[in-house]
Amino acid sequence: MKTIINKVSILTLCFLAFSLVSNAQINKKKKANKDTENWRYEIECVGIGKPGTKVVRVWSYSKKATIAQTQSKKNAVHGLIFQGYAAGGQGCTAQKPLSNNPAVEQEKEDFFKDFFAEGGKYMKFVSMSGDNVPTVVKVGKEYKVGVVVVVMTDNLRKDLEAAGVVRGLSSGF
Amino acid sequence: MKKVLLICSLIVLGTTLSFGQAKKPTLMVVPSDAWCIKNGYVMEFDNDGTTTKIPDYKKAMQENTDILLVISSINDMMAERGFPLKNLESAMKTLASNAAEDNMRSSKESGASVNESPIDALKKVAKADIIIQLTWTVNTTGPKKSITFILQGLDAYTDKQIAGANGTGAPSFSAEVPVLLKEAVTAHIDNFSASLQSHFDDMFANGREVIIRIQTWDSWDGDLESEDYGDDELGILIEDWMAENTVKGRFSTTDMTESMALFEQVRIPLFDERGRAQDARRFASGLRKWLKADPRLIESKLVMKGLGRATLILGEK
Repeated sequence: MKTIINKVSILTLCFLAFSLVSNAQINKKKKANKDTENWRYEIECVGIGKPGTKVVRVWSYSKKATIAQTQSKKNAVHGLIFQGYAAGGQGCTAQKPLSNNPAVEQEKEDFFKDFFAEGGKYMKFVSMSGDNVPTVVKVGKEYKVGVVVVVMTDNLRKDLEAAGVVRGLSSGF
Repeated sequence: MKKVLLICSLIVLGTTLSFGQAKKPTLMVVPSDAWCIKNGYVMEFDNDGTTTKIPDYKKAMQENTDILLVISSINDMMAERGFPLKNLESAMKTLASNAAEDNMRSSKESGASVNESPIDALKKVAKADIIIQLTWTVNTTGPKKSITFILQGLDAYTDKQIAGANGTGAPSFSAEVPVLLKEAVTAHIDNFSASLQSHFDDMFANGREVIIRIQTWDSWDGDLESEDYGDDELGILIEDWMAENTVKGRFSTTDMTESMALFEQVRIPLFDERGRAQDARRFASGLRKWLKADPRLIESKLVMKGLGRATLILGEK
């Protein structure tokens, strides 16, 4: 009887531990998404990548450094669509945003909600740079984390054109 | 009844789709005059005592592989964006082969040759609606090299710069010039195509910008200051027509004398009242018909230059 009770107790503990870990993961993702919803980030060019791509460093903010780091890819894609970046060293020229309509995020709210959802389509157009070590800076009560990512801008632009979010050069002709 | 409605809807949709495309401008990349002169790709001729230099594109394409690389890279990237460009080298080859064919051609029955007026001969040059002018210089500081790169999109008719991108790349100790050039194209083409896109967006919103010229044959007994054609001078009546037929009445009367008028920044609708794509020639054709109608009864000759420039010569055809 005692062995059965012990086994049940161990199983219950394992189950509880697993649930706690899963809940923690879910909470972490929710927190990350909440931090991202404000789109608080800075984007800068760090060099010229191969044709059709942009190599950028994204500085994301959060109370937890790991959360800021996980949101870097999303922020990078958002930045290239809506902000662009200024010219800098390493031969970087100023980059205009892919969308020249500042209101497009509100006009196509449903599209962008799905696009930037957790595991959304934005993931297809961005990857971490190979030898990347995040730069973490403590700013007040939160962290500012810089991560170098590569964004496949040509593919991203084509996808946005196909979805009717941005106009292509030949549209209308 | 439902079937009839469905068929009618399909016909309307088909008509809209077939007429729903504006006339697409042609683009071509050419090396700038400055680059050609700096690198010795010029033809010199004496113009009434003044030595004039004009770029020799053929020589540049045959002798400089860097220019081929840059033009090819820009063409590739624009094709990738769904907007293939006219190729300068191919356009020149086609011109040469067309000229050779025209010289050899004769009618089977009478042996007549193909008609070519001096104007036709003058117009036989490689041309596009928008010229992408390209300049680069190699900067050398000790062992380091960098490239300053300038791309300008110029409207061939209005002479306005409608798109541009420029900048200097990162200096490098080891990279060869072709590598630096390729990097420069990669770095600038996005901004160039973004500014070109803004120009097209403006065109779709406010109409195509064209130039309309009015001239008169010396055989004509009327002039633009004559009040015989309505309740005001003919020039003013033509201005009124322009105001009524341009997008939001936008145009500028740059010049107006008794024998000529020049209208610039004329914003014409992309489509006519029948939904067909419109260019400067078709727009000016509307003015020609209005001049020919009662009570004016003025005959005129319509001459075009690409999508964006048309001239009406009043008096006869």
